[in-house]
Amino acid sequence: MGSDNKTSLREISTTITGKTRGAAMAAENVRVGYGEKIILSELSLEIRRGEITALVGPNGSGKSTLLKGMARLLKLHSGTVFLEGEELTKMANSEIARRLAVLPQAPTAPAGLTVGELVEQGRYPHAGPMRMLRKQDHEAIGRALELTGTLEFANRPLENLSGGERQRAWIALTLAQATPVLFLDEPTTFLDIGHQLEVLELVGQLNREQGMTIVMVLHDLNQAAQYAHRMVVLRKGSIVADGAPAEVMTGEVLEKVFNIKAHIVTDPASGRPVFLPYAVVKNEEVGRGQ
Amino acid sequence: MSLSTGVAPEKPFAEKIPANPLARRFLPLLVACLLAIVVLLILYIGLGTVSLSPGEVIAALVNQPVETFHRQIVWDLRFPRGLVAILVGAMLGLAGAILQTITRNPLASPDLTGVSAGAVLASVLGIAFIPPLAAGGPALPFVALAGGVVVGATVYFLSRQGRSDPLRLALNGILLGAILNSGSSIVLIFDQERAANIVLWLIGSLNGRVWSHFNTLWPWALVGIPLALGCAGLANTLNLGDDVATGLGQNVERARAGLFFIAVLLASSAVAIVGAIGFIGLIGPHISRRLVGDDARRLLPMSAVVTALLLLLSDFIVQAITKGSLPVGAITALLGAPFFLYLIFRRVKA
Repeated sequence: MGSDNKTSLREISTTITGKTRGAAMAAENVRVGYGEKIILSELSLEIRRGEITALVGPNGSGKSTLLKGMARLLKLHSGTVFLEGEELTKMANSEIARRLAVLPQAPTAPAGLTVGELVEQGRYPHAGPMRMLRKQDHEAIGRALELTGTLEFANRPLENLSGGERQRAWIALTLAQATPVLFLDEPTTFLDIGHQLEVLELVGQLNREQGMTIVMVLHDLNQAAQYAHRMVVLRKGSIVADGAPAEVMTGEVLEKVFNIKAHIVTDPASGRPVFLPYAVVKNEEVGRGQ
Repeated sequence: MSLSTGVAPEKPFAEKIPANPLARRFLPLLVACLLAIVVLLILYIGLGTVSLSPGEVIAALVNQPVETFHRQIVWDLRFPRGLVAILVGAMLGLAGAILQTITRNPLASPDLTGVSAGAVLASVLGIAFIPPLAAGGPALPFVALAGGVVVGATVYFLSRQGRSDPLRLALNGILLGAILNSGSSIVLIFDQERAANIVLWLIGSLNGRVWSHFNTLWPWALVGIPLALGCAGLANTLNLGDDVATGLGQNVERARAGLFFIAVLLASSAVAIVGAIGFIGLIGPHISRRLVGDDARRLLPMSAVVTALLLLLSDFIVQAITKGSLPVGAITALLGAPFFLYLIFRRVKA
């Protein structure tokens, strides 16, 4: 069903070589899903180094599936993922984990585990399970705690933290991995708006100050437009728009992808687009539009 | 590596991490429990038809008995029984802590994952139908291990749909365990001759455990305990969930299968010697969790020591109150079942 829409909807074709310089990661013709159910087929995407890329789209569009497939949390049926030009399937598990960190949606840990103990686990790919933590490991753990502002509650059990604090602790876990690339699957789910912004500010800061390449799945389009350099819009398993927020957040895209009519205005402070929805598009209209 | 682009810190980050109070109290608590085991063991040995004072026990232990027959009572009967209790407790506690960690389920333990029931059924079948095994002996743990592994693996694969699900694992274990226990009971009906003996297996008993039992058990402990403690780091990472652990570079299926096998090995060999002593592998790790937290590097050794102390204490109570006529499994069930209900109640409330 995805292939019918592909031709009619705006498709940004990127030259995919997988080995392009400057590409932190690339997916080439990946086919991935849950068990026998294929969600994405023949999809290609290149992630540029040093950028924040937001994957957006309606429920079931395949944005999380794409992230999980690229991060080897889901097995690919076919296609290839490259990490800095190297084929993921040809790399050792720990080698991947030293270069790519991934935080799944709504992760859980034993309730009594402290923040410090959680973040220590980020050193797993750097030291074998039998070996003790070395000096550089403690340094990386301390840095991750400091960057996320979780140093002060390093000894508190996770169950005693607020949702925002807990999410920052989980992000600290991925930072202790000290990878150049970070994947976040809906990092703001289940958080109130204040804590959502707290997490997104942290993501922006990591990108600016640490030069990290970040790919995140976001539900909120305005937040994606606000914090990402690039928005990739998925619908029914295909990429239907891809570009800077100002290029992607158009009435046309919102109507075709999300079935809504909206005014697009520019936030005077950031220069980023913001949408204000005012109507739902009826299904027949969408059909005619295509 | 790419994180090093930031401004150089005025103080190393490592020095800013506050010391973990749970880690600080781990060693003192561990030593305290070990001392408690030693003290309790001396009191335990003194207990019985002929009661001995702690001084007499120590004198007999160092081969300078006050009365010649003390040496026999201490060395031939009570000391080996105490050592078996300590070793079995440590093994069941470790197995429980590992199972709780890898299933991410606080209600998991050797008896609740079907492993004990499998080991018991295999042992009971062996005793009843394979004449050389009738008297127990060093071959029995292998038979029990086969039973534990078969049931453990069955539960593991039954619970696996694409990826293994912790809750299914526990549920399947309880169900399969119930079926197997009725299997053991059927053997019992057909083998009236040894029925009384076999009943003790189903409940778990330390009665009549002597050096031959200890000698069968210790090689298994020597392999299983260090292996389990060495895998604490693996267990910690696995405990964060499949996706996070995969993201950290862990081969999740292999790590889980390996840890599962170690837990089954510990539990089965212990069960082969004393039968399915219930609840002890559930309670010990829970008390330890309260004491030193959820980090497996502290939880696993603490669970071994605390559970050993618990089993020795349970057998002490049995000896003191019933003069050894009740099997120790009866008292652990009596104390353990309400604790299990409390855990479920707390879970339902939360």
